[in-house]
Amino acid sequence: MFSVHIEKQLGNFRLRAHLEIGAQVLVLFGASGAGKSLTLNCIAGLVTPERGQIRLGERVLFDRAARVNVPTRARRIGYVFQNYALFPHLTVRENIAFGIRRAPDARPRVEELLALVGLAPFAARYPAQLSGGQQQRVALARALAPRPELLLLDEPFSALDAPTRMQLRHELLSVQRELKIPMVFVTHDLGEAYFLADQLAAIERGEILQIDAPGQVLRYPRALPVARAVGVKNILPGAIVARDESGCRVRVGGSVLDAPPHPFDVGARVNVCVRPERITLLRPERAGQSSVENLLSGEIVREMSDGANVTLYFRARAARLRADADYDLQIELPVYIYERLALARQRVWQVSLRKDAIHLIA
Amino acid sequence: MNWSPILLSIQVTFFATIGILIVGLALALILARVNFRGKVVVQVLTNLPLVLPPSVVGYYLLILLGRAGPFARWFDWNLLFTWQAAVVAAIVVALPLMVQSSKAALESIDPTLENAARTLGASELEIIWRVTLPLARRGILAGLVLGSARALGEFGATLMVAGNIPGRTQTAPLAIYDAVQSGRFVEANVLVAMLTLLSFLSLLVVNRVYPRAEARRDV
Repeated sequence: MFSVHIEKQLGNFRLRAHLEIGAQVLVLFGASGAGKSLTLNCIAGLVTPERGQIRLGERVLFDRAARVNVPTRARRIGYVFQNYALFPHLTVRENIAFGIRRAPDARPRVEELLALVGLAPFAARYPAQLSGGQQQRVALARALAPRPELLLLDEPFSALDAPTRMQLRHELLSVQRELKIPMVFVTHDLGEAYFLADQLAAIERGEILQIDAPGQVLRYPRALPVARAVGVKNILPGAIVARDESGCRVRVGGSVLDAPPHPFDVGARVNVCVRPERITLLRPERAGQSSVENLLSGEIVREMSDGANVTLYFRARAARLRADADYDLQIELPVYIYERLALARQRVWQVSLRKDAIHLIA
Repeated sequence: MNWSPILLSIQVTFFATIGILIVGLALALILARVNFRGKVVVQVLTNLPLVLPPSVVGYYLLILLGRAGPFARWFDWNLLFTWQAAVVAAIVVALPLMVQSSKAALESIDPTLENAARTLGASELEIIWRVTLPLARRGILAGLVLGSARALGEFGATLMVAGNIPGRTQTAPLAIYDAVQSGRFVEANVLVAMLTLLSFLSLLVVNRVYPRAEARRDV
C-alpha cells in the first residue's frame, strides 16, 4: 500500500496531491505544467513538500509533522526519467549494476535484468550506441535492479516512435504483473493513460480532480477540465427543467434532452457531456420511431479524418444546441463505418443522443 | 649549460599541478554546486589573477607569505625566497584557468543524472566520485593541463616572492631573463626552445581532450 498526502508551494504554483494505491498502476494524467513531475519528485524525495505524509508499505518516507524525511537514496523507489538519464560514461551492464554494486547477487541479478529487457547482446555497449527504445529498456532495468518497492515513470515513452511506444507499454505491464509493485506513471497521452491505468488520476494546475478506473473517468468525468482532457468533445451548457426518479430533463439551447438521474435541483445550471463516439446516426427514413431518445435532425457541415476515424460536425436544423459555433455536435466514427454509411454523399441525418450517453456535471 | 633552472621548473610545476588539482577542483565543485552568500565575490577573486599584473599578485603574496603574514605567524612558515613560494605563486596564477574549465564542465552535466544516481541509492560523495567527476573529466583535464602550462611559464609573481636565486629559486623563465640580460644567448635559446615545446605539447593535449560537440555522444 502506497499513500501520498502532500502540499508543495513553488512560486505561484501550488501542488496538492492525495493518492492511495496498492500494487497497481496509477496513471497521473494531465497537461504539461499540471504538476505531474513535481508530484513524482516529491515522492522520490528530490523535492521536499511543505506539508503532509508519504507512506510506502510499513515505512513512513515523509512526515512533516513528525519531522521524518527519508533521503532519496534510502527510499527504495525506482525512477525512470523521460530522457532516460542513463550514465553516458558507463556501459549498459554498468548502468544496470549502478545501484546494486555492493549486493552479493549483483552479477546474476544484472544478467537476469539484461534478459528481462532483452538486451543481453548489447551489454557492453554505451547508451549513445542504442536506439531510444533500447535506452529506455536499460533505464527500466536499472531502476528495477535494486528491487524497489515503488516505481515512478515520468513520460518514459514520449520520445519514442509509435510502434516502440506500444511495445514498451506491453512490456511494462507484463513487468508490473510479474513484480506486483505499485507504479506511478506520468503521461499527457490519453490513449497511453487509458491503456496502462488501473487507476487514472486527472491532475490540473496542481490539483488532482478525479481518481477512478480509466473507463469511469472517460465516461463520467466529475469536473469540466477533466471532461475536456479526456476527450469529451461535446460539452454543452444547459439547465435542469424537470426531474424525477427515472431521470432529469435538461434544456440545452432550443432543445430539451432526457438525461439519466443526477442530483441537481430544477433550475440548476449544468454542463451536458456527450462523448463524440457515443452518438447514434439514424437515416432520415427511420425517423418517427418513438423509442429513439433525444432525436435531432440536421446535417453534416464539416468533417475531419485522421485516416482511421472521422469527426463529423453536425448542425441541428431547428432546435440548435449551441449558439457559439456553426455546428452543434462532434460525432466520431471509424472510417470504415463512414464509408459503409456513404456519409460522403448523404449529408442529412438524424442523430440520437441516447440517454445513457449523456452525463451531467456542474 | 646549467640544467638546474629546467629541473627546478619541472619540480615547481609538478607540485603546483597537484595544488591546482586539489584547490581548483574543490573551488569548482563549490562554485558549481553550492549556493551561498558572497559567491560572486569568491568567483571574482578566483579570476582576479587572470587580469591583475603579475607584480600586483606577487605583492599580495609577499605580504601573505612574509614575516608578518598569517603563515609565518600561525605556522612559523617563512616561505619567502624558497622554491615553495614559487609553487604558491604558480598555483595562484594558474587557478583561474583550472576553475573556469572545470566549473563549466561541472555545470554542463544534466542534473537528472545525479538525481538518477540518488534514486539508485548513491550517497552524495559516491555521486561526485562515480557520476559528476567522470562526466566532467574532459573539462577538468583540460583545465589542469592549461593550468600546469601556465604554472610552468610563471614569471612575475615568482620573481616577487621567490626571488631569482640561481640554483635555489631560479626557474626556467627567470633564467631566460638572466641569460638575455648578460648576453648568454645560447643558453637563452635552449631554454626558450624547451619551454616553447612543452607549452605546444600542452595545448595539443588540451585540444585532444577538450569536450567537443560530438564528444558527448560518442563518450
